[in-house]
Amino acid sequence: MTQPIRILLAKIGLDTHTIGITVLAKELRDRGFEVIFSGLKQTPEKVAHAALQEDVDVIGVSCLSGGHMTHLKVLAEKMKEMGLDDRILIVGGVVPEEDVEPLKALGVDQVFTMGANMDDIAAFLRSAVSV
Amino acid sequence: MSRSTEKLEALESGGETLWRTQYYEPAIAEQGERKTRFQTQSLRWDIKPLYTQADLDAIGFDPDKDLGLPGTYPYTRETRPAGYRGDLWAMTQVSGFGCAEDSAKRWEYMVNQGLDSIIVEYDLPTTNGYDSDNPLCRGEVGRAGMALDTLQDMEDALNFPLEKLKNITSVCNAPQPVNLAMLIKALQRKGKKLEDIRLMMPNTILVEYTCVGRYIYPPKHGLRLACDVIEYCMTHHKNWMPLNIVGAQIYAARGNPVQEIAYSFAMARAYIDELLTRGHDINDVAPMVSFITGIDMDFFEAIGKLRAYRKVWARLMKETYGATAEEALKLRLMSSPGTMSMALQQPLNNIARLGIEMLACALGGGAHTINTPLYDEAHALPSEDAITIGANIHHIVAQETGVADTIDPLAGSYYVEYMTKRLEDAVFEEMAKIEAMGGALGALEAGYFQSELAEEQIAMNSDFHSGERKFVGVNYLVKKDEKREIEIFRHDEESEARQIERLNRIKSQRDNAAVERVLEKVREAARGNTNMVEPMLEAVELYATHGELCDAMRDVFGEYDPNALTPTL
Repeated sequence: MTQPIRILLAKIGLDTHTIGITVLAKELRDRGFEVIFSGLKQTPEKVAHAALQEDVDVIGVSCLSGGHMTHLKVLAEKMKEMGLDDRILIVGGVVPEEDVEPLKALGVDQVFTMGANMDDIAAFLRSAVSV
Repeated sequence: MSRSTEKLEALESGGETLWRTQYYEPAIAEQGERKTRFQTQSLRWDIKPLYTQADLDAIGFDPDKDLGLPGTYPYTRETRPAGYRGDLWAMTQVSGFGCAEDSAKRWEYMVNQGLDSIIVEYDLPTTNGYDSDNPLCRGEVGRAGMALDTLQDMEDALNFPLEKLKNITSVCNAPQPVNLAMLIKALQRKGKKLEDIRLMMPNTILVEYTCVGRYIYPPKHGLRLACDVIEYCMTHHKNWMPLNIVGAQIYAARGNPVQEIAYSFAMARAYIDELLTRGHDINDVAPMVSFITGIDMDFFEAIGKLRAYRKVWARLMKETYGATAEEALKLRLMSSPGTMSMALQQPLNNIARLGIEMLACALGGGAHTINTPLYDEAHALPSEDAITIGANIHHIVAQETGVADTIDPLAGSYYVEYMTKRLEDAVFEEMAKIEAMGGALGALEAGYFQSELAEEQIAMNSDFHSGERKFVGVNYLVKKDEKREIEIFRHDEESEARQIERLNRIKSQRDNAAVERVLEKVREAARGNTNMVEPMLEAVELYATHGELCDAMRDVFGEYDPNALTPTL
């Protein structure tokens, strides 16, 4: 690969649990990804704008408050409006099994929860971006 | 048996080296040890195969000086003379969701399950200082805690048998003066005698800046508000506990025991120093301070931590602050089995983990209250089943094992005393380092706490990834294609709309001009240096909302830049 994969890691909503996103940022950087962090307490609108501006391949949203359905619905709409629906969208955090299919229906490509293996996440992103 | 008497005599005179060469090494000669390295879980301290008096001598352990007796300085053996023989720990759980009446119903259920205390958790809009109708709060209202906008909500929330509780904790750190005012007014309106209620408030804003994130104003204003709350309670409600520094959050951010105790005490010093500057006496201030610790799975790290906590506090108060009153030297502690040890996978395994951690809490002692995280912690807010089992775990450990029947039963164990003393020394060393950075505020502004914790998070992830640290169901004995086997709590998606409607109703019925006037009073107080609780008491009775009151202070204090907190991202 010539160009590193660019990923925007985002915290949406008021939840500020950052362990998962901190560890993921470090592990992806170690594996050659270019990682950009949105900052805390972002709105879906701001995240979509940042994704456009940074021209990322992937948006990774972390949410541990339980508000993922609300935030992802708005984010997916904004991404569509801004022509970003070809980008890979992944979600991490506390997401019950029942919500995985509805999230995918909104346009989320994959959901990773507690205990997810960093190699698996990196491998998923490499194959998803190259398609 | 072929061992000679000569060898045994040598052992009795302390010949650990002899034991090692003649007994231990031959025993492992063929197959080696089970692991290449034996280390404690989060501190990664090497663990020897055997601890003896020689190890205690090597670190200068002196039982007279280092232990004392229960209820006597330095309190290593317990702060209360009767330990858990007098009274068991209060049994509490964190709870709160939806609107006020949803939470009140849940709390009544909890009390009926054998819990005698409650930790009230508010939703993220409340703890971040917004009303439920703020556009930033979509999807978060009543979700991770109870929604709270006005005094009416607080009154409705307290509609359950409050008098049965040993204590009630209200977690609302950044807006604590607003929250305290609502609690006082709601209790008064319900005709409760305030001296009969034992209210605890974490009021732990410095922990929020460090690793939780529910802050509003810049740290120096956050600290001022916290101290206003403490000062108000020192004057009016001496039996309340207006500062519980939540070390359990530092633990949850993967802080090791040394970091948890050292950071918590450094933070305590920031509040104490501010109150001393305001002219108070250390013997009055110190008893206002308490701590909440997180207890993880490494049994001996946990027990050493609980014992070191109270000893270091006693020494810090005596040696650094010259405190003399017993109540100032005695650590007040709530312990909490570890949220971070609760796996998402095979969640029923967590019941075993909770039992073991609760046992460590009971054996390590010192806590007036023990919290119970629940086996479905990693999935959602707790189900009713999880609450019932959580409550039972307290009673199983307290009533069926005998561990609460004698005080500090593990004292004198070579390993336990070694651990306790080593932790004590390491905490003093870490505290000195923080002091050199200008104390907790200096360390926070330099990003020290945040980056040290991020390092621990990354290191622990590597331990799990490499399999160095085993986590059953997660990286060891993993169930392929696991499907969740438990019922979990589901949030009522309608509660947000209900809450906004409640808020609108109150706002349409109140005297808006009076609210405007009182908000100006709040701004005026914020600009000066009078105690912020007083104007809040007047404001909440006029139904000024939680968000309006937080905004009035935002007008004066400004907001803290959240990204100052994530130097490592």
